[in-house]
Amino acid sequence: MSLKDVIHDIEGYQNIKSEIEVLKKYGFDHGARRGQFDAILEMLHPKSLRLRVSEIIDETKTTKTLRMVPVQGYLPPFQAGQYISLVVEIGGVVTSRDYSISSSPSQIGYFDITVRRVGDGFVSEHLLEETKQGDEFTSSAPAGNFYYNPLIHGRDLVFIAGGSGITPFMSMIREVTGRGLDRRIHLFYGCQWPDDIIFGQEIDDLSRRHADFTCTTVISEPPVGYRGHTGFITARLMQEILGGLSEKMFFLCGPEAMYAFCREELKQEGIPERKMRTEMYGPPRNVTTCPGWPEHIDADARVSVSMKGGETIMVRSTEPLMNSLERHGIAIPSLCRSGECSLCRTKLLKGRVFQPEGVKLRKSDRQFGYIHPCMAYPISDIEILLP
Amino acid sequence: MPEYDAVVIGAGNGGLTGALTLAKAGRKVLLLERHNVPGGCGTSFVRGRFEFEVALHQLSGMGSQERPGPLRAILNDLGVMDKLEFVEMENLYRVVWPDTFDITLRAQRDAITETLQDRFPKEKDNIPRFFDLVYGFSMEMIQGLFFKDPNISKEKYPLFFKYALIPTQKVLDEYFRDPFLKAVLSIYWSYAGVPPRWFSFGDFAIMLFAYIEFKPYHLKGGSQALSNALLDEFINNGGEARFNCGAQKIITSGGKVTGVKTEQGDTVQTRSVLSNASMLQTYLDLMDPEQVPKETLESFRSTSIGPSAFSIYLGFDCEPDEIGIQETTNFIAITTDMDEAFARWKTLEQQGVALLTCYAEGMMGLAEKVFPGIRGHVEEMEIATPMTHLRYLGHLGGAIYGRDHYAKDTQYFMANTSPVQGLYFAGAWASQGGFQPTLTSGRSSAKAILKSMAKK
Repeated sequence: MSLKDVIHDIEGYQNIKSEIEVLKKYGFDHGARRGQFDAILEMLHPKSLRLRVSEIIDETKTTKTLRMVPVQGYLPPFQAGQYISLVVEIGGVVTSRDYSISSSPSQIGYFDITVRRVGDGFVSEHLLEETKQGDEFTSSAPAGNFYYNPLIHGRDLVFIAGGSGITPFMSMIREVTGRGLDRRIHLFYGCQWPDDIIFGQEIDDLSRRHADFTCTTVISEPPVGYRGHTGFITARLMQEILGGLSEKMFFLCGPEAMYAFCREELKQEGIPERKMRTEMYGPPRNVTTCPGWPEHIDADARVSVSMKGGETIMVRSTEPLMNSLERHGIAIPSLCRSGECSLCRTKLLKGRVFQPEGVKLRKSDRQFGYIHPCMAYPISDIEILLP
Repeated sequence: MPEYDAVVIGAGNGGLTGALTLAKAGRKVLLLERHNVPGGCGTSFVRGRFEFEVALHQLSGMGSQERPGPLRAILNDLGVMDKLEFVEMENLYRVVWPDTFDITLRAQRDAITETLQDRFPKEKDNIPRFFDLVYGFSMEMIQGLFFKDPNISKEKYPLFFKYALIPTQKVLDEYFRDPFLKAVLSIYWSYAGVPPRWFSFGDFAIMLFAYIEFKPYHLKGGSQALSNALLDEFINNGGEARFNCGAQKIITSGGKVTGVKTEQGDTVQTRSVLSNASMLQTYLDLMDPEQVPKETLESFRSTSIGPSAFSIYLGFDCEPDEIGIQETTNFIAITTDMDEAFARWKTLEQQGVALLTCYAEGMMGLAEKVFPGIRGHVEEMEIATPMTHLRYLGHLGGAIYGRDHYAKDTQYFMANTSPVQGLYFAGAWASQGGFQPTLTSGRSSAKAILKSMAKK
């Protein structure tokens, strides 16, 4: 005998049985839900987007905005400050770069990405020189954690932008002014030269029309006779312009050197960590200068990378593993390219890699030998298990 | 075409224990996972200086080394214990109604009885009687049901037969008068997503019993450590795991599983599929409609998709005790009416962006009443809405516990087997929500697969 034979002896069993019979007759037909899950996901978090360049806007001598419309369907919603990871193919190598969306999230008919030429950036060069109206790209859906949180960030915001680091702030400023949101923003915008200022005219116009939006431009290499603020964005300058710094929330986006400088300045003024939100930046310019980099490994060192059950390639120790893999036509999932999102999480089976401080590995991922190849530098021959 | 003894769809709790059980038995197993990390709910994410646990509050069924619980026994068998460091929680939970009532219970029967008698002197005699019932019932359920007593009968197991399907609220009303006492004792209903009025006493009693007897646990590195350990052992046992690659279709022919087509477009041959995806969506989205028996879809009419959750993850710039957080598990309530609490929970089904800040603001405000000043210490905050849960768990409605688990949805009425030969299920849809049930379900279904393989 088993429970099955005596199950009807359980008190209430018969009542529930008849309840079930009624429900089977009149209950909801879940067949209507076929395909619903994919449809919801496709609308909010599509796996990738197909974008077409509808317009190219010249911003400065070195900067252009590419206006991207969906090739088909709709664009998903995003938070001002988020980025898309744009896939590009250059000379047979498929790689990707992140670009903050500079347009306002109030409309999702298009995404603007604003690209500035960087010294040796072969992707920015490609986007600025080779890209034409009508070209199509694949990108990720919007991602990233550099955005305003109404629950803890208050309404008094200070944006510190360096160079092309203005782009996420432009989205936020456009949203707040466009929607008349109850937030006060002061933008400190650091540029090398006056003709480097992106969105200068619009920022001027907006600050004239909105009492709650003000801006200070700071030029680090001013031409003779320049009359505005010059040098760096110092705590002293901020104090001078804002009066006091307490009770304000600081958002920073710009080059590595600016973070180091401005964060320290704010720290000296007693601003706690929680009051500073910093956008991530990609791999360091020169990894050999990172704290902890093994001294005996020089900039030209080469090591082998073997894929379990696959090929072995030779790579440079000073290049992020992900870039080396891409050079060899091996694509692994990528998104932030800053060690943060963990999408490229890969198991290291043998050998050692250097991962700079700030690579956001889970505690147990570290324990079980996972690495984030977008910010991992092989410093010995290694073997990996592709995800 | 590559051939596998079994394909496991989804590396959630049940998928992982299932896949590992099969691999350890020497079977050739392919584990498919849409996401890039194993674990499903059993995972974590990093923001700023913090790593956040996604789902695990209190792991049940562990027990100590000397007195192992059922889950510890499973994890021992699976060979992952030496990779993990478990931490026992001394207290069961704290329940607070701000400015009204505040109580903390130890995870120990006598201590709970004493604390409750002290706080509810009028119910002094009822409290031990209630625990006699919870324990008596649980012992009968273990003997009669879990150990499959061949002589099970109403006469031999009177408490089981009387109380298994009775609503928890009815028992509480029978034993107690004080609404706070009833709410304090039944607060674990929220771990099942069913308010006491509809929560079968059987499910409730065994849960309370298990948490008290085997103690609540957590582990270093959070549930991600457990998921990583299970996957690691799976790979060490020759298992093949593919991430960023879900299943697209379970291929069947003549009512039998013959293969699986992956999201990457390739097809593998297999006669056994263990689906850790939602049972409903397995039939709706992973199978051709004409291959799903009509009665199977119809049987879902009597069930409904369970609740989702609104989760706020906070990283503080100070130690917890500086802001008054002493307990690992804090329930904060505004009413003793758990039907009302559940009704508020269900309002989550109304979707909209405005809801996001509205809910978060309300929850933060409530937490601040118990932990004044916490907002001023938040360094990182992440919010997960039902849509977030839907996205990462792959469950319609963002269901965190699978289907609703009313009395009619308990094991006595719901089949967790499939009429499709070779198709098996693991996870919250196959049993109940929660870590212990889902981890256990994968193990049991894998054993059923091994058994059917042995027959052939």
